[in-house]
Amino acid sequence: MINSIVNKFRQRNFVLGFVAVLVIFVLLGIYKPYVLIEGIQRSSLYALIALPMALLLGVVGIINLAHGDFMMLGAYFAYFMNVQLGMDPLVAVVPALIVFFIFGMISYYITFKHVIGAPELNQLLLGFGLSLVLGQAVNIIATNQPRKLSLDYVSSSMKIGDFQFGTYEFIYVAAAILVLVGLQLFLKKTRTGQAALAVGQNPRGAKVVGININWIYLIVFAISVAIIGAIGPIFGTRNTIFPEVGLAYTLKSFALIAVAGIGSLTGVLWVSLILGLSECLVLSSLEYAKWSDIIFFALIIGVIMYRSHQRQVK
Amino acid sequence: MRIKFLVGLLLAAFLTGLFIVAAPVQAADPIKIGAILPLGDATGKDGIRSMELAVDEINKKGGVLGRKLELIVIDDEMKPDKGAAALDKLATVDKVDVFVGGMSSGVTMALIPGMKKYGKVTVWIGGASGKIEQALEGQDWFFHLHTWDYQQIAIFNQGWDEIAAKYPNIKQQRQFSAYEEGPFGTNGFKATKGIIEAKKFVIQGEAFKSAALGGGDYRSVLRHAKEFNPDIFTWVGYDKDAIPMLEQAKEIGFAPAVYVGSPPAWPVDFAKSPLNEAVVFYSMWNEAIKNVSKPSKAYSDAFHKKFNDAPTTYFGPLAYTNIMIVANAIKKAGTVEKAALIKALEATSYDSPTGDKFVFGKSKFINHQAYASPKIMQWQKGKVVVIWPFNIATGKLLYPFPAWDKR
Repeated sequence: MINSIVNKFRQRNFVLGFVAVLVIFVLLGIYKPYVLIEGIQRSSLYALIALPMALLLGVVGIINLAHGDFMMLGAYFAYFMNVQLGMDPLVAVVPALIVFFIFGMISYYITFKHVIGAPELNQLLLGFGLSLVLGQAVNIIATNQPRKLSLDYVSSSMKIGDFQFGTYEFIYVAAAILVLVGLQLFLKKTRTGQAALAVGQNPRGAKVVGININWIYLIVFAISVAIIGAIGPIFGTRNTIFPEVGLAYTLKSFALIAVAGIGSLTGVLWVSLILGLSECLVLSSLEYAKWSDIIFFALIIGVIMYRSHQRQVK
Repeated sequence: MRIKFLVGLLLAAFLTGLFIVAAPVQAADPIKIGAILPLGDATGKDGIRSMELAVDEINKKGGVLGRKLELIVIDDEMKPDKGAAALDKLATVDKVDVFVGGMSSGVTMALIPGMKKYGKVTVWIGGASGKIEQALEGQDWFFHLHTWDYQQIAIFNQGWDEIAAKYPNIKQQRQFSAYEEGPFGTNGFKATKGIIEAKKFVIQGEAFKSAALGGGDYRSVLRHAKEFNPDIFTWVGYDKDAIPMLEQAKEIGFAPAVYVGSPPAWPVDFAKSPLNEAVVFYSMWNEAIKNVSKPSKAYSDAFHKKFNDAPTTYFGPLAYTNIMIVANAIKKAGTVEKAALIKALEATSYDSPTGDKFVFGKSKFINHQAYASPKIMQWQKGKVVVIWPFNIATGKLLYPFPAWDKR
């Protein structure tokens, strides 16, 4: 791991990029410190939610449009664990990991197993259908009444001189780094992870060399659902939850992965950082705040068009 | 030939007999009222329960014109497409006599083409957007029981003027409005801006993305508000924004002298939030009004008795009023026939549990507008207190909004 970081620093482009990011951080920190802090927090949330999708889509090529709905379920899980058992939502992350790992396996068996190898459109339609089913099920069981726990630590803050900022959202930063490192270790240091990379690159070849590809798809799907399900409680402490709360994050995660490049987990982190900081910078201006969404998608369209152009040039 | 004639005669006699026998049954058929409400939402939950309460009370007294009232309710899930489908079903499958209900402006906008197509008498409690009013200009079958956005804003400003006159230490010269970026918030801000600027006060506004639409980070808007240092800060959004907005205000240390929240309803967890102290809001009704209004007390007591619970939003008494106004008009008209019913509705004068008398009059674009007067209320020690109008006030304004570190 350390060796790979050292090797990265030997590459000229990486060093240039790293220096550019540091310069941006310093300039933003001087110009508007809250843009830097809130931008990093926002970026981390985007990355955190997108990473499990990046694992699934980038490594084994499954498009799960119900991704945000699993997060919504995780948030409801933590909410009711708190209301019924008094469990703190952050503690509920642990049982959520186990419950959603099992739920992911069941969901895979019932749904995605049947469209592996089928055209992407089938996966898209299946994911869309699953998203509707999960949303409607919550709507029927818990109603669409918005829910939000009141937790003291969620509005905790720090003051440096006149500048006051929230500290709770740094949990997103820690969680995003944890998930990224965990996934990298899983993919590079475990046999299942390496097998998953092989399946992603060439499923037929992987099968020929004796990898149980059905097992790999099942495990990777279950891990992805377990992680996003466990992110639900962290997300739900800070945000109001309702049956459709995950939909916007599915779309954003999908867009982030498209820009980062399918299969690049660290790319997701960098792209989230660029988009999160850009959004916060635009939002910090009273006159131009309404452009923040347009900038998000304009950046995405720009990068995709640039990539397409580069490919044609080659 | 003779046999055929005899069979024909017998058949005719049979059908005539059937008609005679069936006629009284038809007369006893229920009067069908079709309601569209968001049943998963607190407003819809209060609405459906209150409508059922009203229908039960009427039916226990023998119904209307010797016929029972039958309430057919469809959940619109606050989605325009579901609302439009619900209206079609009520009109074509259930064949209801009157449309009632409504909540969201967005859903109501989607229902307008269907309402116009069927042209049934509609007594509507939802939709505050002035655009709805414009779209329904000249439709004599449409009766509206909710204030339009511009009416609400004018009344609230009158309220603040009266409060400021009574308590000279309360300032309102600088106002900041954070509004959700959809038509609900944008139109509301436009109307507010006009009124505030006409009073030579200063107002600044900024749109935010509601959590309902994938937003939920309000810190940049709140920071702009903090920099502006307003006398009154108002946010106009949805119930999903209520608690995070307060938490983020606390997080950045923003405590304006008056903090006003203006969602259609408060989320179920808001009453339990320790941050709600001194939050001001606008509403048509709260249970505290039963102390000063007999119809409100009667409604509240009946609701408690039937459901062992309390209504939490003004859509409860408004939905009750909805059914009562329709039933009274049918009784007065002696029929559900459209022209007679419209005439009877126009003569409505009903003392509502909201504490107001409902009488239809003309608004900007429509001829049949009646509404409960909005009130200014405040959360104090986890309970709601009516601050204005002073004649029905149940407490005094807690001013200024306490600093976060002094709670």
